[in-house]
Amino acid sequence: MDYDTYAVDGAEELGPRVTIREANNVAVDFILRGADLAFANSLRRVILSEIPTIAIDLVEVESNTSVLADEFVCHRLGLIPLNSKDVDDVLYTRDCECDQYCESCSVTLTLHARCTGDDVMKVYARDLVVTGGRVNDQVGNPVITDAKGEGCVIVKLRKGQEIRVKCIAKKGIAKEHAKWMPTAAVGFEYDPHNKLRHLDLWFEEDAKKEWPPTKNADWEDPLQEGEPFNYDAQPDVFYFNVETVGGLPPDVIMQQGIKVLQQKLAAVIQELAGGDERNGDYGDGARSPDGPPPGTAYGADGGYTTPFGVGTGNASAWGGGTTPYGATPYGNSGAGW
Amino acid sequence: MKADLPADRFELFLLGDGEKKVTWALDTRVPNTAIFTFNKEDHTLGNLLSSRLHKYPTIKFSAYIIPHPLKPSFDLRVTTDGSITPRDAIVQACRDVVQDLEVLSREFTKEWELKKITNIGRD
Ligand SMILES: [Zn+2]
Repeated sequence: MDYDTYAVDGAEELGPRVTIREANNVAVDFILRGADLAFANSLRRVILSEIPTIAIDLVEVESNTSVLADEFVCHRLGLIPLNSKDVDDVLYTRDCECDQYCESCSVTLTLHARCTGDDVMKVYARDLVVTGGRVNDQVGNPVITDAKGEGCVIVKLRKGQEIRVKCIAKKGIAKEHAKWMPTAAVGFEYDPHNKLRHLDLWFEEDAKKEWPPTKNADWEDPLQEGEPFNYDAQPDVFYFNVETVGGLPPDVIMQQGIKVLQQKLAAVIQELAGGDERNGDYGDGARSPDGPPPGTAYGADGGYTTPFGVGTGNASAWGGGTTPYGATPYGNSGAGW
Repeated sequence: MKADLPADRFELFLLGDGEKKVTWALDTRVPNTAIFTFNKEDHTLGNLLSSRLHKYPTIKFSAYIIPHPLKPSFDLRVTTDGSITPRDAIVQACRDVVQDLEVLSREFTKEWELKKITNIGRD
């Protein structure tokens, strides 16, 4: 088989294909085929840094007599993963009509703990209580996955010490601050046998011994004895492992990543192809991820349509219709598996 | 130099007042060539578009550069064979990638639903 012909004319014409190897409610391990390195890498980058989530962004410290400084506690609060269900319905505070923050663009959590016993008391993420209204009944809840239902430790208190804070959680992306990352890590590998020689492995005596193959190596044939180097070969199989922090299920992260990338491209199409794109396939998809482009009447159509709303006939996410993710509903993570 | 740094992190991805996503100019020294400046974008889009353009037989050259690591923009230089304008080539590339992403989305959903069924069966 001519590898080159296969890669260019065969595999890629079919478009991207996915094989899920393992999946649960916090991680997905899959193989992406029929795409090039740039496509796969852009997907990886966008998942890491541009998917909106909810995180504590503003903290009013009313009382903190713990041993940790206010800033220290605030930083810890910011890093607590929060449920980001239907985060598309939450507005960015900067796009919201309110003065500072409101129910449409934030979730308020309060934390009040005081140690009265002789033992050291641990304050956990579960002690954060959502107060006031919010867009739906799950967004902003601290992510708690441990068996005891405690969540992560925020601070420890000794007898007589107290902490009382009001936290405002807002929508954001990880390009602004890593606390908005939807993932803990995105595993990414291609060409496990290094046939393409993209890697120049450092070694002391024998690279083969010192660099044991990854589990992905079983999925590809190693270089045969005497096989010549194929300088035309391009990578076209990519091994992904998307591991969430619990705020969004892995399938939603994937679909959101795809959507964010599409929005980027739609913005370019809008800019370069101009007005004739308005009624095209991508509808008003040229909106930046952060709201309508300057000059667009905000909500002039009575709603906040999804990026590909016009083309695919999806109802407005703002109006409480279907999500743009077709058959995959948000927030199924807890159910079944 | 320090005064040029973005004051807020969101300046990395939010267009400024009146700032355009893409501006471009023809290169007068080389035929069928234009340089596009993408504002508030990075390698995610730069490499994606540049690589996609390489696949088209009408493209003679395409490459991108991030002129300064602290400035959130990149320049994409495109030369065509004259049968298509660089601008149309980029629009075509964008459409094709959007289409591929659409396929990916469907494929992933299909696989995910399948996996879900088999996972339930295992319990
Ligand atoms: Zn608001």
